[in-house]
Amino acid sequence: MNQFPTKRGSRRLITAGAAALTAGALALTGCAAGTGTTPTSAPTEGGSDSSELRVAITSYPSSWDQDFVAFDLSALTMFKNVYPYLIDYGIKDVDGGQILDGSNIFPTFAESFTSEDGQNWTLVIKEGATFPSGNPITAEDVKWSKDRAFAASANVAGVYRLIGLTDPSQVEVVDERTVVFHQEWPSALTEQIQAISLFIYDSKLLQEHATADDPWAAEWVAQNPADGGYFVVDSFTPGQEIVLKANPAYIADNAANVETVRFTIVSDTASAAVLLREGDVDVAYGLSTNEILDLEGADGVSIISSPSNNMVYIPMNTQSGPLADAKVREALAYAVPYEQIISTVYGGEARRPQSFIPIDMPGYTEAGFPYETDSAKAAELLAAAGAGDLALELVYPAEDGAAEQIAILIQAAFGEVGVTVTPTPLDPATLGERRAAKDIDMQVATGQQWVNDVEYLANNALVTGAYLNYAEYSNPVVDEAVASARTITDDAEREALWLDVQEQLAADVPYIPLAQPNFLLPVRSDVAGFVYPLDGLVRYNTFTIE
Amino acid sequence: MRLARYLGLRLALIVPVLLGVIVLTFLVVRVLPGDPVQAFVTPSSTEEDIQAIRERLGLDVPIWQQFAVYFGGLVTGDFGTSIQSGVPISVELSTRIGPTFELVFTAVAIAVVISVILGIWSALRVNRPVDHTVRVGSLVGTALPEFWLGLILIVIGYQQLHWFPGPTGRVDRDLAPTPITGAEAIDALLTLNWPAFGSAFMHLVLPVLTIVIGVSASLVRSVRAAALEILAAQPWQAARAHGVRGGALYSGYLIRGTLSRIPTLIAIVLGNVLGGVVLVEYVFSWQGMGQWLLRGLLVRDYPVVQTGVLIIALVYAIAYLIADLIHAILDPRVRL
Repeated sequence: MNQFPTKRGSRRLITAGAAALTAGALALTGCAAGTGTTPTSAPTEGGSDSSELRVAITSYPSSWDQDFVAFDLSALTMFKNVYPYLIDYGIKDVDGGQILDGSNIFPTFAESFTSEDGQNWTLVIKEGATFPSGNPITAEDVKWSKDRAFAASANVAGVYRLIGLTDPSQVEVVDERTVVFHQEWPSALTEQIQAISLFIYDSKLLQEHATADDPWAAEWVAQNPADGGYFVVDSFTPGQEIVLKANPAYIADNAANVETVRFTIVSDTASAAVLLREGDVDVAYGLSTNEILDLEGADGVSIISSPSNNMVYIPMNTQSGPLADAKVREALAYAVPYEQIISTVYGGEARRPQSFIPIDMPGYTEAGFPYETDSAKAAELLAAAGAGDLALELVYPAEDGAAEQIAILIQAAFGEVGVTVTPTPLDPATLGERRAAKDIDMQVATGQQWVNDVEYLANNALVTGAYLNYAEYSNPVVDEAVASARTITDDAEREALWLDVQEQLAADVPYIPLAQPNFLLPVRSDVAGFVYPLDGLVRYNTFTIE
Repeated sequence: MRLARYLGLRLALIVPVLLGVIVLTFLVVRVLPGDPVQAFVTPSSTEEDIQAIRERLGLDVPIWQQFAVYFGGLVTGDFGTSIQSGVPISVELSTRIGPTFELVFTAVAIAVVISVILGIWSALRVNRPVDHTVRVGSLVGTALPEFWLGLILIVIGYQQLHWFPGPTGRVDRDLAPTPITGAEAIDALLTLNWPAFGSAFMHLVLPVLTIVIGVSASLVRSVRAAALEILAAQPWQAARAHGVRGGALYSGYLIRGTLSRIPTLIAIVLGNVLGGVVLVEYVFSWQGMGQWLLRGLLVRDYPVVQTGVLIIALVYAIAYLIADLIHAILDPRVRL
C-alpha cells in the first residue's frame, strides 16, 4: 500500500514511499512572514502535441458558474481545468510518480504573490496576460471577481473566512496589475487557500451580460464557460459532451500537454467500463472500486492507483442518543472489522488510518485512534457501560455502493456484540437535512480535504458547531487548540497542537476512521502523465498520450 | 361538429387536471424531507450566508408567496430557474424534452405495431406452437429488467458485434445536426443532414429496442386477449357464417375490433414509459427528461421537478384524449 502512484495492468510500476509523501506534505503548512510565491517553479514541460484525450465522466456540470454553483464534483473538476487561476500548485516527483505539491505554489497568470508579514499579500499580474476574449487580465478583474465571490456568500467567501478575508474592502486595487489582500490576521493557510480560490472572471465580458436584476451576470455565466485556464472550452453540448482545447494564451509552465480533451457524458459507469475496454475512451472517471478492479487484466487497460487523503469514517452522535456516552463509543470502536472493510469493500486498495487526521497530513499520529478489532473487549466494555441491548441507526448515502457494503459489514460485526444496527440509505437531500437536524446515531461519511492541513480540517469538522462536525463533537481543549493555530505559522508549534488534539480524539472517540481508499483511475495503457490531485479534482493538463 | 365540441370540452377539462397537478406537485415536493439550500452550503458558511442563499433562491418567503411567484410565471410561460444550475428551466427543458419524446414515441409506436401483429397472429393460432412461443416470449420480455436488458444489448450490439455505437449519447457529436427540436434524428431529417441522421438512427436502435422489448411483451398479451374475445364473439361468427372472407373479414371485424380496444391501453403504456424511461436514458447516456427529473428530485430542485411532472401529466392527458377519440372513430357504438 506504499506505492504512489501505481499504474497496474500495464505492469508499469511507479513507486514511492508513503513516508516520502508525508515528508513532502509536512512542508504544506509553511507560510511564515516574508514568504510568497515567485515564478521559480517549472512543474512540467508545457506545450501541446496535437493529441486528443477522450474522457468518460458520469455527469454534465450543473453550471459553469463557480461562485453560484451547488456542490457538484463534476463541475468543480471542470472548473479546475478551464478557469484561469492566478496561482497554482506545483508538481512534485515522488520516486517516479507525481503529486500536486501544496508546499510549492507558484504564479501562473500572476508575476508574484508575496507577503512581508503573512497578513497582507500582494498579487502582481503578468504583463501581457489575457483572457480568451483578448481582454487583458487586470487588477480590476481580480477585484470584480472577488467582489462577486463575496456577493455569492458561497464557496470562496466561505473558505476566505479561514484566513480572515470577510469583506470586499479587504481586496484593494493598487494599480492596473497589482492587488493587495488585507487579511485580518497572518495565516499559515493563505497560499493553499488562495491556490483554490484565486480564480478570476473576464469582468469586461461579464459586465456586458449583467443586468440591473443580475449585476454579476449569474444567468449568463451559468450557461457559458468562464474559461482561460489550462484549457478553453471549444464546444459544449449540454448533457452530452464538452470539448476543451489547450489555451494558447496560457503563459505558465504547466500548460496543457494534450491539444484536446473530449469529455463524453456516460451516466452509467458499467457502460463507461465497456467503452474503456473497447478503446473508445481513454479515461473512465467515476467507476466504483469493484468496477475498476474488474478491469484488471483487460487488454489495453491500466489502472492508476495512488494513495489519497480521502477519509471514510463513522461519526457518532456525541450529544444525544445512546452514543452520547463515550464508553459506548469506545466499545464500538473495538467492534469494527477494520481489515475486513479494507479487503472486502476496497479489494485491498485502501490504507487504514489510525487517526481522524488523514495519514499524509502533517501532524498525523497513530496515537489518534489506538483501537483494533476485538469483539470480546467490545462486548465487555458495552456490558460495563450498561449498554447490552443497544439499537442504532446507521445512515449512509444511497448512491454510495462502498458505504452500503460498509454498513452491512458493520451491521454483522456489531450484531456479534449484541448491538442491533439498522442500515438506512438516504438520498442526498434527505441526508443533508438529517445531518442539519443532527438526529443521526451513526453514519458512514467521506471527507476529501481540499487543503492538506489540520487547521482547515478541524475548522470544518472538529470544532464545536462546525458544519461537517457530524458527531456534534465539542471539546474545549480542541476548540482552543484550533483557535490558537489560526495565527501560528511555525510548523513545529502547529504539530504539537495537533498531537494534543488527537489525544483528545483518542479519548473521546467521536469518529471511527475506517479507511483511506486509494484514488483509482482506469485508463488506456497509452495514457500517462497523471498527477495525483490533493483535492481529488483531476487536472488534465498534465496528461499525455504516448 | 359533435366531434369538435367533444374535443373542445375535453381540452377544457385538461385545465383543471393540470391545475391540480401543479398544486399537488408544488406541495408534495416541499413536503419531502430535504432542503435544496444544503447543496450550496460550504463548511465555512455562516447562518447569514445560508440565509443569503435562501433569499437568492426565493425560498425565504412564505410558501403561498412562492406558489404565487411560480404560478404567475407559469401563466406567462416562465417555468422558473433551476436551483442547481441557475439556468432557466425553459432552456434546460428545450434540450431534454426532444430526445426523450423521440425515444419514447419511436419505441412505443414500434411496440404497438409489433404487438398488434403478434397478438392477432397468436390469437388466430391459439394453442398452437406459434401461440405458445408468443406467450412464453411475452412472459420472458416482461420479466427482463430494462436496466439489465440495456446493458446486455450494449454488450452484444456494441462490444461483440460492433454493429452499433457505444452508449455515448444520441449522435456522434462531430456530425450533430443543427438543433431545432432537440431530437437529433428529427433535426437531421428536417435539415436533410443524412450523415447525422445515420448516426442518430444507429444511436437510437439499442435504447429503442430495450423499450420495445419491454412494452411489446406486456402489450402483446392484451392484444391477444382482445383478439380472442373478438374471435369468440357473435359478429365474427355471424360474418364467417355469412361467407365473409379474406380482407373484409380480417380488417372489418378482427383488426378493427381489436384495435378499438387498445387505444386506452396504449395511452397508459405511453405514460408509463415516459415516467420510467429514466433507466434506459441512464444506461445509454441519453440525457433526456427522465434523467433531468430524477436528478432534480434527488437534490430537491423544485422548479425542475414541478416542470417535469407537469409535462408528464400533460402528455398523459393528451394521450388519453387521443385514445378516446381513436376509440370513438373505430367503434361505432361509442357516441360522443
